[in-house]
Amino acid sequence: MSFPDPIAVFRTEAAELLEQIEAGLLDLNVNLGDKDQVDAVFRGLHTLKGSGAMFGFDALAAFTHHCETAFDRVRKGEVPATQELVTAVLEAKDHMRALVDTPNGDHEATGEALLASLRAAVDGANNAGSSGPAKTAPGQNHFKIRFSLPQNAMANGTNPLPLLDELRELGECRIVADRSAIPSLDLLAPTDLYVSWEVELLTTQPRSAIDDVFIFVMDEMQLEVITVETSVAAKAPAKTEAPVTASQPAAAPQPAAAPVVVLHAAAPAPIAAAPVETKQNKASENVRVPAEKLDELMDRVGELVIAQSRLSQLAGGSGDLQLRAVSEDVERLSGELRDTMMVLRMVPVAHLFSRFRRLVHDLSHETGKTIELVTEGESTEVDKSVIERLADPLVHLVRNSCDHGLETPEERLAAGKSQAGHILLSARQQAGEVIITIKDDGRGINRERVRAKAESSGLIPPNASLTDQELYQLIFHPGFSTAQTVTNLSGRGVGMDVVKRTIDALRGTINVASHPGEGSEISLAIPLTLAIIDGLLVRVGDGRYVIPLSAVEECLELSIEEDMRSRGRSFISLRDSLVPFLRLRDLFRTGTKPDPFQKVVVISTGSERVGLVVDQIIGDHQTVIKGMSKLHHDVATFSGATILGDGDVALILDVGHLVAEGQQQEAHLRAAG
Amino acid sequence: MPASDVQEDYFRPPQNLTVRTIATVQREILQFLDKTASATIELDDDCQVDISFIQLMEAARIYAVAAGKQIALARPASGPTLDVLKRSGFLDGMSAEDLKFWLHQGGIQ
Repeated sequence: MSFPDPIAVFRTEAAELLEQIEAGLLDLNVNLGDKDQVDAVFRGLHTLKGSGAMFGFDALAAFTHHCETAFDRVRKGEVPATQELVTAVLEAKDHMRALVDTPNGDHEATGEALLASLRAAVDGANNAGSSGPAKTAPGQNHFKIRFSLPQNAMANGTNPLPLLDELRELGECRIVADRSAIPSLDLLAPTDLYVSWEVELLTTQPRSAIDDVFIFVMDEMQLEVITVETSVAAKAPAKTEAPVTASQPAAAPQPAAAPVVVLHAAAPAPIAAAPVETKQNKASENVRVPAEKLDELMDRVGELVIAQSRLSQLAGGSGDLQLRAVSEDVERLSGELRDTMMVLRMVPVAHLFSRFRRLVHDLSHETGKTIELVTEGESTEVDKSVIERLADPLVHLVRNSCDHGLETPEERLAAGKSQAGHILLSARQQAGEVIITIKDDGRGINRERVRAKAESSGLIPPNASLTDQELYQLIFHPGFSTAQTVTNLSGRGVGMDVVKRTIDALRGTINVASHPGEGSEISLAIPLTLAIIDGLLVRVGDGRYVIPLSAVEECLELSIEEDMRSRGRSFISLRDSLVPFLRLRDLFRTGTKPDPFQKVVVISTGSERVGLVVDQIIGDHQTVIKGMSKLHHDVATFSGATILGDGDVALILDVGHLVAEGQQQEAHLRAAG
Repeated sequence: MPASDVQEDYFRPPQNLTVRTIATVQREILQFLDKTASATIELDDDCQVDISFIQLMEAARIYAVAAGKQIALARPASGPTLDVLKRSGFLDGMSAEDLKFWLHQGGIQ
């Protein structure tokens, strides 16, 4: 038995902590007075620093220490939380992730710049804060020091750096170089010293300790030391804790940890509700399993399902009752195992949605728009592999909404809308699918501009008759963009193409709705799982096919008479409504004669239905989905394949595509009168 | 002249950038700046640096602005240069312009 790599475990925990810190920061940004969030962010940073140091991530620990110190000051009321501070720590958090992923990377300069931003944010908050200065701890002295060394100090062999180091050794110290006296290069006496310094020092040492630092240059230097009264509120130095060690070498690099699924874990608890103690208690309830192990297990279950299918077939053809009984038991057990396995792989979309809070926060800054993101249905669960693949398309859609969909605050006010634009990101389950919706209350898609662009680029003939849905689907065409300017967010016509390709690959569908001036809504319907589904095995001609059972509404018999009657129109009457149907025998050009009692399998995607005429319904079938080869990549009618019990391959029908084809057929027939 | 039209020239100072050699370095950089519109300073990763060099670079920046020239570091300050910046208190209180010059951090607000 192999034990998990502790570094990999740390990386996983660090990733979770960073997520919690980010969520806490984003919540704090909404309500800067929320002390619980301040405490929560502080705890997260503190834990990350401690764990980092324990596992040898010294650079991470040193860097995080500065953020922790900043939040400690906020926590103690020494400085108020400000949006600048939150933004600085958010940026610092991204750097922490880099320090976790590549501890030996070249992060030094970035780290220093971020720390400088952090210090500036803390200073700004300190100056703005009404609660003001810190109280010096009992026994500590607070000094403000200004000094300049003799102009010829360097030429005489005095290096200022060791003096500054000695000052730092006295206590918490902030040293700022004053460069204002440095002249232009042509006027510079290069060995003269033009720099002077301002220092704030919190120390338990007496004033004489400062004099001792400068004892050898005291006679020629200028030194001014102000003792800040300890009993009086006075500004504390920014606790930058001088030897900034962001550049310390870290532990030996380790390969990035594999993604991990926490089994039985609900949606991530808000950071405030997950202090370290509680987390420890929870440890006994949850088991951390690398995602790749789950994938392996899923593959094994898939193989078992195929073997069981074969056993069922053998048992069915045998007169051995005991064999049949065993086969039925194995079938039941493998079905239960499959269901359990599927549950293990399900992850709440909250994991996916949480990252968009940060994205929208950043986009709001970049675009200068006020954007409020609302998420719904975060507890909706989807197979982890689906979640992973949904991230990119959603990023493109949210970016698009922020950049093109939502108007500027001025435009919104002029249109009688609230200044803040709203984006709703929601998820819900519907008949074996998860529906992810991105809705904004922006300007809506400009139909005329889409049409003009499509006509000018030859996608549609001039004045072509298109439904709204057909027209909107054109925005997913590669390179299609109506943006008049390309920004760093969008406008190149690449993003929506990525959305389309990814959703197609997931066997999903995209629905677009838009109302001018009111906003747009894009819904992605994705199968809940990509691994094993319940299927309905049917025969068409000599071939067998699987229809995803979640899409099947009902099965009907199509007599020869009805078949003859419906020739030319291909509609069946189903409870007073006409449902178009497709003859799969014709579609697949089997060249076989129809069975005398053909069946119609009615399938649907949401409100749209279509009947599929097959020769025989064989029965339900646990379908282990296998991908199509690259050779068959562009065959739209099928979404995958499966191996049957007798070793034959059955193709899995692409329900979305067939329904769309049926609807198209209906539209054409209606148009023809 | 737009920045993109300026021909960049690289100046590689000696390894020793301390008070012992700083006068020579000053002379060389002045000569170099007089010959070019845009000087890019290539610091050796193992160079020896003290405050005199940091001060010199600050003076060179002032000179370049006054002369309508551009000066930049080829890479963000690292190693000994960054260490001196840190210890000497230059990093605290850096403006966005300073951050851009020394650390190539233009995006930091």
